[in-house]
Amino acid sequence: MKKENAEIKAVNGYFEVSLKINGFRKNLKVKNNEFLLDALRRHGYKGAKKGCDTGDCGSCAVIFNGRPALACLIPAFSAHGAEVTTIEGVGAVQAPHPIQEAFVQAGAVQCGYCIPGMIISAKHLLDTNPEPSEGEIRKYLDGNLCRCTGYVKQVEAVKLAAKRMKKQTVTGNQ
Amino acid sequence: MNNIKCYSFPRTPKEALSVLLNKKANAIAVAGGTLVAKTLPETVETFLDLKNLPLNHIKKQGGDLILGATATFDAIDNSKLAQSWAGGVLSHAAARCSSQLIRNMATIGGNIARPHSFNIFPAVLLGLDARVKLLSEAGVKTCPFSGLYGPGLGAGPGRDLIILEVIIPARTKNWVCRFEKFARTEASWDAYLTLFMGVEIADGSVCAARVIVGALSPKPFRAASAEQILSGARLNPGVIEEACLELARCLDTAHQHKADEFKKEVAATLLKRFLESLGQPA
Repeated sequence: MKKENAEIKAVNGYFEVSLKINGFRKNLKVKNNEFLLDALRRHGYKGAKKGCDTGDCGSCAVIFNGRPALACLIPAFSAHGAEVTTIEGVGAVQAPHPIQEAFVQAGAVQCGYCIPGMIISAKHLLDTNPEPSEGEIRKYLDGNLCRCTGYVKQVEAVKLAAKRMKKQTVTGNQ
Repeated sequence: MNNIKCYSFPRTPKEALSVLLNKKANAIAVAGGTLVAKTLPETVETFLDLKNLPLNHIKKQGGDLILGATATFDAIDNSKLAQSWAGGVLSHAAARCSSQLIRNMATIGGNIARPHSFNIFPAVLLGLDARVKLLSEAGVKTCPFSGLYGPGLGAGPGRDLIILEVIIPARTKNWVCRFEKFARTEASWDAYLTLFMGVEIADGSVCAARVIVGALSPKPFRAASAEQILSGARLNPGVIEEACLELARCLDTAHQHKADEFKKEVAATLLKRFLESLGQPA
């Protein structure tokens, strides 16, 4: 039996990549010098934001193969076979995620540019550690820079979301 | 990345090496990609992605601690085994690297593949007498970490070698160690100074000492004369003072250019705090 090649080739500078975005299989044509952030935005996933474009600010964060990662540092072609969750896959205006609700209610959103990345980080934290300490929250959000606030409200929002999500789990289990 | 024509994602180190050795492929090996993704040379035509290699383990083998090359900083930070080794210095060092989003992606193999002053792990691995397991055309071999960037290893990791594992010897398990990063902010990826300090104490005396200075040059260096003062000594204020002064001197003599005064003072202060925290002088 012929072994499947673990490689894909570019044609005229473009790769055809197959990946899952927010649970749906997608085939995207991406340029060889393009990063995942640009490819996602070009294909309509505009929740991930371009801030520094150098991996410092966290506004481009997406969940990449189960871990929050910086879409501005991931070559788009290397997302071939990957599973990606963007902020659009976390919640929507009509059906917000408890973390999104908590951010609004805690007054954690000012200009909002950093918030998608922050919610992506917070979601992964609460999915893996439902009762984080303040230190753990601050450590987990240390790659998400906010230039409007002093992070106090965001930390409060994550605490509030943790409480609500725990309550929902308890109610759901009853 | 304008000239990338092939994205290769092998599943075994052997496959990865064959791509790397194929001169026509003109490949570059990338693990976490946090450093090289934005700085790929335009000559590269094959992006060799190592993230699918089964090398993300953190385990104990024959008493040694084994860190797979694609173990991420976050995995090392949160590994119970790494936390239990040498006072948890590996986990502590991993946690001091940049931000959580970088720690989720960056790997220990990527961090040591090239000598850079801002790398976190080289100082720690040099201090813990680590060895590195490598795969080359000639087969698997191990070399001391201190020899990783030296001659005799061909073009080096990621060029004609694949880093498989980092081996931390069993004898360092109970060493008392500390890693300090002195930087502008906690999340800064570069630092003014990094310092690894480690001692093994038996019967009230220091039987092994390691003082490694990082961030001042692409490769970390041992402050051997400061280590000598500590080795065999019973720690008392006089010995501590002498070792700290010697460390400050080492910062000057190890390089062609004199180190900034504040860096010498910081290094000496951090070493003093560490040695005093061992509780021996009391």
